[in-house]
Parts: sequence; C-alpha cells; structure tokens
Amino acid sequence: MISDIGLVALSIAFLFSVYGTIVSAYGGLRNRPAWVESSRNASLLVFPLLSISVLVVVYNLYVLDLSQAYVADVASRAMSTFLRVTALWGGQQGSILFWAWIMSGFVAIVLLRKWERDRELMPYVIAVSMLTTTFFVGVVVFITNPFARLWHVPGAADLTTAVFQPANAMPYIPEEGQGLNPLLRHFGMIGHPPTTYIGFTGFVIPFAFAMAALIAGKSQEDEWIRTTRRWTLVAWIFLTIGLILGGRWAYDVLGWGGFWGWDPVENAMFMPWLTGTAFLHSVMMTEKRGMLKRWNMVLIILTYALTVFGTFITRTGVISSVHAFSKSALGPAFFVFIGLTFIGSLSLLFYRWDAMKTEHHLESFFSREAAFVLQNMLFLAIAFAVFWGTVFPLLSELFTGTKITVGPPYFQKVTGPLFFALLLLMGIAPLLAWRKQAAHSLGRAMLLPFAASLGITAIWGYSHRMHPASIFGLWLVSFVLMSILTEFWKGVRARMQGRGENLLVALSKLIGRNHRRYGGYVIHLGVVMIALGVIGDAYLKQETQGALTAGQSLTVAGYSLRFEGLKSYPGTDGREVIEADTTLFKNGQAVRRMQPRRDFFIVQEQPVTVPAVYATAGTDIYILLLAWQDDGRSATFKIYINSLINWVWAGGVIMMLGTLIAAWPPRDGQKETTYQLRPQVFGPQPSTGD
Amino acid sequence: MAENAQVQAGAQPTPEANPQSRWTRTGVALAFGIVLALLSLLAWGLKKAQAGPVDSGLAPDFSLTGFDGRTVTLSELRGQVVIINFWASWCPPCREEAAYLEQTWRKYKDRGVVFIGVDYVDTNKEALAYIQEFDITYINGPDLGTRISQDYNIKGVPETYYVDKKGQLRGVQIGPLKAPELDQKIEELLAEPDPAN
Repeated sequence: MISDIGLVALSIAFLFSVYGTIVSAYGGLRNRPAWVESSRNASLLVFPLLSISVLVVVYNLYVLDLSQAYVADVASRAMSTFLRVTALWGGQQGSILFWAWIMSGFVAIVLLRKWERDRELMPYVIAVSMLTTTFFVGVVVFITNPFARLWHVPGAADLTTAVFQPANAMPYIPEEGQGLNPLLRHFGMIGHPPTTYIGFTGFVIPFAFAMAALIAGKSQEDEWIRTTRRWTLVAWIFLTIGLILGGRWAYDVLGWGGFWGWDPVENAMFMPWLTGTAFLHSVMMTEKRGMLKRWNMVLIILTYALTVFGTFITRTGVISSVHAFSKSALGPAFFVFIGLTFIGSLSLLFYRWDAMKTEHHLESFFSREAAFVLQNMLFLAIAFAVFWGTVFPLLSELFTGTKITVGPPYFQKVTGPLFFALLLLMGIAPLLAWRKQAAHSLGRAMLLPFAASLGITAIWGYSHRMHPASIFGLWLVSFVLMSILTEFWKGVRARMQGRGENLLVALSKLIGRNHRRYGGYVIHLGVVMIALGVIGDAYLKQETQGALTAGQSLTVAGYSLRFEGLKSYPGTDGREVIEADTTLFKNGQAVRRMQPRRDFFIVQEQPVTVPAVYATAGTDIYILLLAWQDDGRSATFKIYINSLINWVWAGGVIMMLGTLIAAWPPRDGQKETTYQLRPQVFGPQPSTGD
Repeated sequence: MAENAQVQAGAQPTPEANPQSRWTRTGVALAFGIVLALLSLLAWGLKKAQAGPVDSGLAPDFSLTGFDGRTVTLSELRGQVVIINFWASWCPPCREEAAYLEQTWRKYKDRGVVFIGVDYVDTNKEALAYIQEFDITYINGPDLGTRISQDYNIKGVPETYYVDKKGQLRGVQIGPLKAPELDQKIEELLAEPDPAN
C-alpha cells in the first residue's frame, strides 16, 4: 500500500517532468509567458513528488519490507537502522532515484529564485534542466524501478523482478535480505554517493543556463555566468568532497595502503572535476575581461557530458575496471542520452559561435590572462590524458584486437609533470598583474616566497636525503605555500599600517572585503596540503610483509610489530571477526596495542580486511592481517608506512572552508569588487547586435 | 508581445547569413567527427560489455611460457584441478591475495592441483620483483598480446578461474581471493572423480 503511493508519486513526477520540458521549450520559442509559467509550476512539483517516493523507499528499508526487491537486495535484519536508511543509495535502483531527487531539488531552488535580471533565459533553463531530470526519472520508472517486487513464476528456475504481477506468478517474500555490500559499510561510502551526486547534478544548473543563453541569443552577455557562479562553486566543492571521501574509503576499506588507483571508476569522477575546475577559473576571465566566452561554453558542455559519461561508465562496465559493476538495460539508455545531449549542445554552440566575440585580446604573454589560459590548457591536458588512459583498453582492442590496459604508471608519468606545472603556476599566477606584468616587479614579488621555500627545502632535503626525488616536489609545495602566505601578509600588513588594526582584525577584514579572492587562496592552500600528501604517498611510502608466529616481530622504518595472538568472535551486523592482537614498537619502545582484523560477513559470504592504523601528524602506520593458520599460532601481516597521507584529508577540509568563504554573499551595499574592473562600464558596449 | 519578439529576432545577426570561413566549417566538421567517433567507440564497448565474462563450459585452451622458461598448456592438464589467476604488479588488490595464493599452492601442489599465474599487461622487471617479493613458486608468465585475457573476457585484475579435472570452467572469482574460499573450491573439485580412471 505504502509502496503504491511511492510508485504513483514517481509516475506523476515523470509525467510532470515531460510536461515541464516540452511546454517550457514551446512557451519560450513561441513567447507564451503563460505556458512558461505553467511548466514552471509543473517542474516545481516534481521535487515534492520525488520526495514522497524517496521517503517511501526509506520507510520500506526502515521496516525491512522484504516484498520489495530493492529492500531484499540491499538490506537485512542484521543491519543497524542507520545503515538501512543509507542503503537508499547502496544499490542501483535507489541511487538513481536519489540522483533524480537531488536534481529536482536543484531545479526547484533555481525556479524559486528571483528572475528579474534574466527572465528571457527561464524557459530554456527549465527545458534543459528538466530534460535531464526527465531522463533520470524515466530510467527510474522504466529500467531500475525501486518499487519492483519479487515474483515466483511456476516452472521458472529464477525469481522474476517486476513492478506488476506477471501472468500466473505468485508474490515471493524472502525470509532475509541480502544486506548492503559489506565494503560499503563505511562512513566514506555513506557520504561519498550523496556528495558526488550533488556535485554531478549541481553542474547541470550552469549547463542549463549556458544552453539557455545560447538558445535565447544572450550568449554574448555574461549574465548567465554571474547568475551561476555560486552554483558552480557548490557543485565543484561537493564533487571535491566526494572525491576525497571516496579516497578515504578506498584507504580504509580496500586494504592496499593507498587512496587513489587510477581505476576507470575513479577517473570517471575525476574528469568532470578537472574540466569543472578549469571552468571555475575561465569564467573569471570572462567576468573581468570579457575574454574566453566560447571557451567557457566548451568547458561547461564537456563537464556536463563527462558527468553523464561518468555515471555511464560506473553503471555499465563499458570499460573494464577492477570495480565490480552491474549489467542492465541502463547502458543503451545512457548511451542515447549522452549522444543526444552532446551533439545537441555542440550544435547550439556552433550555431552561436560567431555571435560570441571576445572583448579583449591577450596583450602580453606575461600577464594574469595568459596565466589563466595556460592553467586552462594544463587542466584540459590532464583531463585528456586521463580520458585517453581510461578508454585506451577499448581503443586498443578495436584497432589491434588486443586489449591493453594502461596501469597507474601511465597516469603517473603523464599527469605527474602536468600537475607539477599546474602547482607552479598556482604559486606564480596570483603575483601576475592583469593585462601586462613587468618582469622586474614580478621578480621582486617572487623573491621572498622563493627564498623562504629554498630554506624549507634545505631543511627537508637534509632530513629526507635518502629520498632525493621528493625534494623537488617539496620545494614546489613550499614555494606555492609561501607565495600564498605572502599574498595574505601583504594585504594584512597594509591594513595594519594604514588603519592601525591588529593582526586578527586585519586578517578577518581583509578576507571579509574580498571573499572571492581570499576564499580562492584558502582553497589553494588546501590544494597545497593535498599535494604534500600525494608527494608522501608517491615517494616516501615504505612497506613490508611477513608471516609471524606468536612472539615474533616484523620491522620496517624504525617501527616493529610483535604478534601476540589470534582470536575470533561474533561481531555486530552479522559478521564473524578474526582479530590479531599485536603490539607496535617504535625504536624499541611499546607504542600501542593494535588489532588488525578480517571480518567475514556470513550472509554475503564476503570477507573484509579491516586495517589497524596508528596515525601521527606526519605518518600513518597501516597494518593488515593477510592470512593466518587455523590453529591461530601464526599469521601473515603487511605493514605500510604512509608518510604525510593525513595532509590529504586535512587539505580537503581547508578546501571546503575556502569554498565557503568564496561563496559567502557580500554584505548589503558592498559591491562585489570583481565587477569594478569591467571595462564596458567606461566605454560604449561593443556591438553585439542589440 | 509577439511583435516585440519579431523585432528582437530581426535585429540579431542571423548566424546563417554570416559568411562562415572555411576554417570554421572544417573545425565544426572535425569536432562532430570526433564526437561521433567517440560515440561509436562507446557503442561498441557497450555491446561487448553486455556479453559478460566466460565462467562455464570448456575452459579456453592456451599455452603460457613462464618467466623462468617453463611452458604449460592447459589442455595437457586433464585429470588435474587447475587454478588460473590473472594478476599484475601494478594492481593493488592482487597484492592482497598473493600471499594466500602461494600458501594454498604449497598446501596442494602434491595433490594433483596446478596453479597458473597469468601476468596481465605488465613490465617484466616489476613483475619479477613482485614474484620475488611474495616468493611465488608456481608458474607465472606474461599474457603476450593479452590473448588469454581476451579468451576469458576478463574485466580486470585480479580474477581467478577454476578448471575441473575434465577441463571445464567451474566458476570465477572477480576481485581478490580471501581465505578460505580457494581451499574450499579446490577441495570440492578434488573430490570429484578423475575422468581418466
């Protein structure tokens, strides 16, 4: 009964989405405000309707209604209530419904905003965003319906999953559910899908505005960029958090001591992040100098296409991946959708190509503008390299008949230097002036950060002389760090001297006066911290492995691990735990008892390796229990010494903080300082035709 | 209102009327060509992905030359239980199962069980270091031209295929093996009668 309500709400939501898409487009093209208003109302209703569906699925999971195929698939009695509720996005049906729901929520927020400034864009914003919503809701209704039930057809070996009763079929209600994949029972995997989905769907909004500007012939004006700036930032930071949570999950759960494996599924999420980050920067050029208008369009189209492509890869297994994937009718549906939207948006772009003219040309290769262009090129180059590596197995199989998978060494070798260049640019670009930069003043500005970074590197180089490869990386990181801190210091010092403020007041007022600029610098600080973590992972990692009998020790990098004994006991959530008791010593001193475990989930017949981690500010000691003798007298361990890895997580938090600062609305009456420089204010508008 | 829209539309430069340069047109054609090529590639990949992995029927035959020069041919191993493990030195989950695989091999090697390690897309230097690190003693060799991987339609590494005494595929483990599933599977296959007797 309750499920029927969910199903009906879902079906009505689909009809309203279709209505909203078609009627808004018609109303816009024929200039019928009443039609547009009607489509807006219909589109607004999709969110509450999908909310009902989502609530019903959550309720079914909560009460463990095993007549529902989805519930039987992802939930079980042994799971806690919290885990059961989060199973909403633990399986395919639920996660696509969840996606559609977030998408409709974004659309609702957009539609409820004030539309005075860009009213002529509204019909097409509705049409484009609702087209995307319609696709996802349609997939939920017709392909992976979370309200399907299990049926037993007499004579058939397998159970049938269907929404409506097949002929002669009897409803089948299993005694117990399968339960959520044990690997997904981790805070990273509970937080990773929602944040990723918010990031992915969030980019649909700037895309919808961009397409609307193209359709309405307003692409020469940059209104759409100003309207969507915060949307882009929100989408971007959620995608960033999603990436970091995914990495944290891999580190804690997959048990190979790392956080990034260049797997196609990881790459699928990384590519839209790369193009999205490029877009975030290139729109600044348009706002400040009226340049790169066409380029922005290219970037937002790419980002949108890559977000859909990412879901396509994850959900269909087109490209082989170490990740498990699920096979279904989803593949063809996604394929058609990607094809139509990609070709459609490119056609629109080329149709308006000549109308989008740059207002300024590059005056010097030694300028902030040139740095932005170079930065965009680097981001695109990385995205292309990642894309190439991801689809390479397909390409090689097509042309040579041999499937060649490029492993992490390819990605590291190709993107490594590009990332280094990008970091360097991050240190220099903020010192460059707009339009033209005199070489000697740039040299003066760089002198202090450069000298300071050399000092830090000398100290580092001395203590890490056995890892010479890390020294260059560290110099780069410390140079960028010093360059950002110098920017803060210059602003703070000016306020302290000019207005007699103390350090803290000056700092908070400095940031308060220009959220965007200093928020951006804080984000850059977060990036520097993550870069430090990556350097640690790439150059300083140490590992060892060995079988120990009770009382024996395994030693690596000044740490040694003594095996004390093995025990097994029944754990929570339906698992049997094998736990090794060990003691960690540093330079002969006992530091802590550590219990690496192997949890065996009985219903799913799946083992999960749970590492024991001793975290210090600089280093993680990461211990895995690999194997053991049944008598419990000996066991095999693996120890990783992961230097600096915690900087990755800390950097993520700083990036969130920076984004919050950058997106914070300016106080009343305070102008967004970025707009003051716009040259059109002083001169006649360049002729755009209207 | 409609009139107003007409005026607006009329005042705008109509892109068709603009003489597009040959370069622009070539660029547009090129962009669409790339997009279409990509889409065809995806369509082809999708079609293959829907086919799924091979996990039953007669195991595809192959010969493998190991890093140590030994050669093994699957069809000559009838009457023995064969474990085919696809791995690579760059694959972190493979490291997770390496110790367990070797340990199980040593336990069963005198009981009519053969382990074959197929090294998928790797470099010899790294692969040899990996074999040395885990002290692997069963035969391991590179999958030249990824022919074996393609016959088995593997989706990634690690993957382990179980072949019974009759040379039939009896299941596949996608992802790393965990104790004691390999032991259980081997015991199950060893318990079956030998077709030669």
